[in-house]
Amino acid sequence: MWQVIKSVLAAFFGVQKERQRRRDFEEGRPGHFILVGLGAAAVLVGLVVLVAVLVAR
Amino acid sequence: MSRRLAWLSGSGVMGLSAQAQASGWNMPVGVTDISAEIYSLHMTIFWICVVIGLVVFGVMFYSLFRYRRSRHPEAANFHENTTVEVIWTTLPLLILVGMAVPATATLKKMYDTSDAELDVMVTGQQWRWRYEYLGEEVAFTSNMSTPRAQIRGEEPFGEHYLLEVDRPLVLPINRKVRFLFTADDVIHSWWVPDFAVKQDTIPGFVNENWVRINEPGIYRGQCAELCGMDHGFMPIVVHALEEDEFDAWLAERRDEAAEEALGVDRDWALEELMARGEEVYGAICASCHQVEGQGMLPTFPALAGNERLIDDLAWHSDTVINGVSGTAMPAFRSTLNPVELAAVLTYTRNAWGNDTGDTVQPAQIAEQLAR
Amino acid sequence: MASKLPKPPLEHSASGAGAAASEAHAAPPKGILRWLLTTNHKEIGSLYLIFSLIMFFIGGIFALVVRLELFQPGLQFVDPEFFNQMTTMHGLIMVFAAVMPAFTGLANWMIPLQIGAPDMALPRLNNFSFWLLPVAFILLLSTLLMPGGGPNFGWTFYAPLSTTYAPPSTTFFILAMHIAGISSILGAINIIATILNMRAPGMRMMDMPLFVWTWLITAFLLIAVMPVLAGVITMMLLDINFGTSFFDAAGGGDPVLFQHLFWFFGHPEVYIMILPAFGIVSAIIPTFARKPLFGYASMVYATASIAILSFLVWAHHMFVVGLPLVAELFFMYTTMLIAVPTGVKVFNWITTLFQGSITFETPMLFALAFVVLFTIGGFSGLMLAIAPADFQYHDTYFVVAHFHYVLVPGAIFSIMAGVYYWLPKWTGHYPSETLGRWHFWLSVIGVNLTFFPMHFSGLAGMPRRIPDYALQFADFNLVSSLGAFLFGLSQLLFVVVIVKCVRGGEKAPAKAWEGAEDLEWSVPSPAPLHTFETPPHVTPQPHP
Repeated sequence: MWQVIKSVLAAFFGVQKERQRRRDFEEGRPGHFILVGLGAAAVLVGLVVLVAVLVAR
Repeated sequence: MSRRLAWLSGSGVMGLSAQAQASGWNMPVGVTDISAEIYSLHMTIFWICVVIGLVVFGVMFYSLFRYRRSRHPEAANFHENTTVEVIWTTLPLLILVGMAVPATATLKKMYDTSDAELDVMVTGQQWRWRYEYLGEEVAFTSNMSTPRAQIRGEEPFGEHYLLEVDRPLVLPINRKVRFLFTADDVIHSWWVPDFAVKQDTIPGFVNENWVRINEPGIYRGQCAELCGMDHGFMPIVVHALEEDEFDAWLAERRDEAAEEALGVDRDWALEELMARGEEVYGAICASCHQVEGQGMLPTFPALAGNERLIDDLAWHSDTVINGVSGTAMPAFRSTLNPVELAAVLTYTRNAWGNDTGDTVQPAQIAEQLAR
Repeated sequence: MASKLPKPPLEHSASGAGAAASEAHAAPPKGILRWLLTTNHKEIGSLYLIFSLIMFFIGGIFALVVRLELFQPGLQFVDPEFFNQMTTMHGLIMVFAAVMPAFTGLANWMIPLQIGAPDMALPRLNNFSFWLLPVAFILLLSTLLMPGGGPNFGWTFYAPLSTTYAPPSTTFFILAMHIAGISSILGAINIIATILNMRAPGMRMMDMPLFVWTWLITAFLLIAVMPVLAGVITMMLLDINFGTSFFDAAGGGDPVLFQHLFWFFGHPEVYIMILPAFGIVSAIIPTFARKPLFGYASMVYATASIAILSFLVWAHHMFVVGLPLVAELFFMYTTMLIAVPTGVKVFNWITTLFQGSITFETPMLFALAFVVLFTIGGFSGLMLAIAPADFQYHDTYFVVAHFHYVLVPGAIFSIMAGVYYWLPKWTGHYPSETLGRWHFWLSVIGVNLTFFPMHFSGLAGMPRRIPDYALQFADFNLVSSLGAFLFGLSQLLFVVVIVKCVRGGEKAPAKAWEGAEDLEWSVPSPAPLHTFETPPHVTPQPHP
C-alpha cells in the first residue's frame, strides 16, 4: 500500500525512478493505482481549497 | 449638443489637460493604487516569462545549431535523468509560488469594498450605460456620441472616435467610490483600463468593485463583454474632478433633477414634446428601431407606419414602460423619467407620417407609473 | 520510442494481409456508396481529414471577413450584426469542425497502425461517427441563410444573449452542436476500445507511442465533458422554446450558471485540442533528432496531470464575473499549477534535441515551430492566470492573441506536421520538400504577423469581438489583417502539396524517415487497405 501511495505521489510530481516504475507495472494492480490516484486528486483539491480559505481570511 | 455642453459647464472639466498617459503598446499604469499594483504584477510576470523564454529557447536554438546532422552525425542515446527532472519540476513550482504571493495580496485589496464614501450603481443596457448616484437622487444614461456618419466613413474621424459619450460619469478624486454593477438585458462588462476596474454587469445580480482615483482627468473605456449588435459602440467616459468641483457638480445635477420633476406637473405643448422626444429617441431607441423608425427585421419591428402602435396608445405606452419579456425590448420605467417617456411616446406617435396628433402628457405617464 | 520494430513484420502485414483481404471481404461497393458505407479505418481517417480541411477553409474565410472589416477603423464591408455572426461561426467551425475532426482523422489512421491492430474496434460505429459530422455542420452553416441570421453570440454563446436575445435560428444551432457532440463521444468510445483491447501481443501500455497515449487520455476527457456541453445546450433549448428559466434571472435562474457549465466543458475542451498535438510532436522530434524522447514516462505522467488539472481550472475564464474571493484564489492557484506539467513537456522536447543529430525536413520544421510558438502561448497563459492582472487582460485582444498562439501554431501546426510526417505512409510518396518549406515559412510569418500585434492591441485596451475600434488601435489591426491574408493564402499551398503528393512524387519506402521507430513504419508505403490482419509480435524493449 505504501508503495502504491509513493508511486502515485511520484506520478503527481511527474518524476519516477525507472526501477520503481517497472516494479509497479510488473507487480501492482491497476485498480489500486486508480483508486489511490482519485483519492490523491481529491486531497489535492482539498489542499488548494484550504490554502485559498486560509489566505482569504 | 446643447444639453451636452450644459452637462459639462460649471464643472471645470473642460480645462483639464491631464490625460492618462498610455504608451499605446502596453497596459497603462493607470491612476489608482490598484492599477499601479496590477501593472507591476503584469511586468513582473512578463519579465519572468522573458527570462525563462531566453533560457529555454537559447538551449533549443543552440541544440538546433550545434547538433544539426552535418556537424553532429552520431546522435547520443541518453534519456531520463531523475535529478534533471526533479529540478525542472521544482524550479517552476517555486517561481509560481513566488508569483502567487503578491497576486494574492493585490486581489484581496481589490475585493475590499468596505468604507466607500460614494456608491454608484452602474447598469448595462443594450447599448448604453446608466449611472445612478445612490442616495443622491441623481441618475442618467450615457450614450456614445460619435456620429454614425463617422462610422460609415462619410465624415472624418474625430479625435476620440468611438470613445466619446453624451454624458460622462463624473467622479471625485481621493474618495473611495464603490460601484454596484448590474444589467437590464444581457451581460455587459464595464471596463476602464486606467482604473483596472473590469466587472461583468449581470442581469438580476449585483457585482461590486471600487476605485480611488489619484489624479483628475478624463478616462475612457469600453464594454468588454459581447452584448449584441452594438457591443462595440457603448464606450465609457469618466471625468475625475477635484473633490470640491465634484460636490458642486453633484449639487447642480440634483437641482436639475428636481426641476425636471416639477416639469411632470405642467402641461406640455406638442412641439416641446416632439423636440425633447427626438433627442431621447436618437439616444435610446434609434440603435434598434433606426433613425427613420424603419426597424430591422426580424428582431426589431418598424415603428413608422406600425398599425398597432398608431391604433392603441395604451399598448404602446405599456410596451415602452414595461418592455416585452422574451424579446430584446427592455422596460424603460426606471431608465427614463416621466417627461422623457411622454416625449418619446409623443414623438413616435407623430414622426415619420405616423401623424396621430396625440400628445402624451408627463402627468399621464407619472400616473401610469404609480399604478 | 519504447518499442522497437518487430522483426518479421513485412511478410505478415503486407503480402499476407493483401491476399487474405481479397478473400475475406465481399467486393466493396463502388463510387460514392463506397465512401458512405466504408468501415475501414484508413478510409474513414481520410474522410475526417478531408472534411476538416474543407472546414478549415470555410472557417478561414469567415476569419478573413472579420480581418477585412478590421483592416481599418470605420465600418466598410459588413454591418455589426453580420460581423458578430462571422466571429461566432469562425470560432465554432474551427474548434468543432476543423481541429477536432482533424485529430480524430489522424487517430483513425494512425492508432491502429501504431498499436498493430487491423482496424478500429468498432468499425460501423466509426462510419456513423464520421457521417454525423457533415450533417451537423451543414445544418450549422445553413443557419447563416435563415431569417435573422446565424449564431451571433460568440463561440462561447453566453446566456442570456444566446437564449432570450438570440436569433430564431438558435434552435438549429443547438441541434447541430448535439449531433457534433454525439459524433465526438462515439469517436472517443471507439478510440478507447481500440487502444485498450487491440494492442499487438506484447505491447504494454508503457510501450505505446505517445500519440496513442495522448489520444487515450483525450478520449476520456471527451467522454467526460461532451455530455456537459449537451446538458448546457439542452437547458438553452428549454429556456428558448419551453419557458424554463435556467439562465434567466427574471424567472429565478442564473446567467452565471451557464458560464460555469460551459467552461466546465470548455476548459477540458481546450486540452482536447492540444493533447494529441503533444503526441504528434513527441513522435516527430525524436525521429528527426535521431534520438529517443528524453522522458517518455514523464511525458505520460504530465499528460495525465494536465488532464486531471483541466477539470479544476474552468473558472479562470470567469475572473471578472464576480466570483467570491476564495474561488478566485482557488482557480488562480490551480491554473498556475497546470503550468508545471506543461513546462515539463517543453523541457523534454528540448532535451531530446540536445546532442541529437538533427535534420530539418518539413514535418520537423512545423514541430519545432510548434514548440517555440506554443511556448509563447503558454507564457501569455501564465500571465492570464494571475487573477488581478486578468482584470486588465480579460476579454481583450491579449486573450485573442493567447489562444490563437495555442491553437494555430499549436494545434494546427501540429496537425500539419503530422500530415507532412505521415503523408508518405498514406500515399506512398514524399510530399514536395520545396513547396513544404514555402508553405512552412509563409505560415510562420503569417501567423506571427497576425497574432503577435494582438498582444499589443489587447494591452493597449482593445476589447475583443468589436467590429470597429478607436484610432489608437489602427496600426496593430492593419498588420494583423495583412498577416491574416498572408496566412490564409499560403494555406492554398498546403492543398497543392497534398494533391501533388497523392498524385505522385518521390517514392517512399516502408520506413519513410530514417529515424522513425514506431510500428506504422513496418507496413509498406502506401499502407494497404488492410494491415496487421495477423498481429505483429512486439518484443517489449526493456527500458534502459
